[in-house]
Amino acid sequence: MASLLALEPAGLRRLLKSGLRQGIADSLLRTLVAGELGCEPGAAVVDQLLLQLQEREWLVRQGENWKTRLH
Amino acid sequence: MVKILAIHSFRGGTGKSNLAANLAAVLAMGKRRVAIIDTDLASPGVHVLFGFTPTADQSTLNDHLEGMVPILDCAHDVTPDEVKRSHGKVWLVPAAMSSDRIARLLREGYEVERLNDALFELAELLRLDVIIIDTHPGINEETLLSTAIADCLMMVMRPDRQDYLGTAVVVEVAQRLDVPAIRMVINKLPSYFDAQQVSDRVSSSYHAPIGALLPLCDELLTLASGDLAVLRFADHPWSEGVRRLAQDLAVSVL
Repeated sequence: MASLLALEPAGLRRLLKSGLRQGIADSLLRTLVAGELGCEPGAAVVDQLLLQLQEREWLVRQGENWKTRLH
Repeated sequence: MVKILAIHSFRGGTGKSNLAANLAAVLAMGKRRVAIIDTDLASPGVHVLFGFTPTADQSTLNDHLEGMVPILDCAHDVTPDEVKRSHGKVWLVPAAMSSDRIARLLREGYEVERLNDALFELAELLRLDVIIIDTHPGINEETLLSTAIADCLMMVMRPDRQDYLGTAVVVEVAQRLDVPAIRMVINKLPSYFDAQQVSDRVSSSYHAPIGALLPLCDELLTLASGDLAVLRFADHPWSEGVRRLAQDLAVSVL
């Protein structure tokens, strides 16, 4: 969790915070990312950011939702 | 959906566990299903207020975090009789009290996300309305997690210079983590302090509303953490303050 606290920019922190608790559904996550980036949920840049977060294993799929894992 | 209330302080001895246990009882007396989780793994204690001590065959949060038992096995019904009559329920998830278990978990650590998952699994299994997290003072992984997932963070402090400075650090963390609601709770306020002045100073210093101003009182000391003041001294100003805090939370957070 110390990593979450240290993350910049604030939008990335908000994004990963949304994957705590019960996690976040794919469509909501895309909407959130798009909101932070100022683009449409279907934009390529949304896919790119989500892919990078998955590759870092900061976001993992758990059932229907995405969950944050920052260890 | 369950609401998470994190009760935290920067320093020990603020009465955080006492507030957590009493608030759990008051909220449950409103027919709610409440669980209180002792995440103060280094110095657990909230179980004492419910007259509960886990025996060797009763599971604790440590058992779950070490992957030994399901979280449901760690939740023990500690509903006081007065709360039962009001059709509320209180479960306690205690932390292990033995020194070797405390040392082992601190030494070996665990994935803090496991605690997150446990809370929400328990909420679903027990159909909880509220989870109250009694945290370890200061800042550590459990504290950061409970702050990040809280619907409301209650910062407990005494009117003490060290508390003022340390509380500022935690409030800054909470604001960085976008906690939706913060309540400042000033506890153990001596009678010779001007309550309004303290209240104004705290709310303006931290830009957060006052949840409660709770007096320092001898009656609580006579309980020696062995019982709940809201049940034994229901008419005491301290208990009234906790009930007002619960009403505020019921309206604005729950």
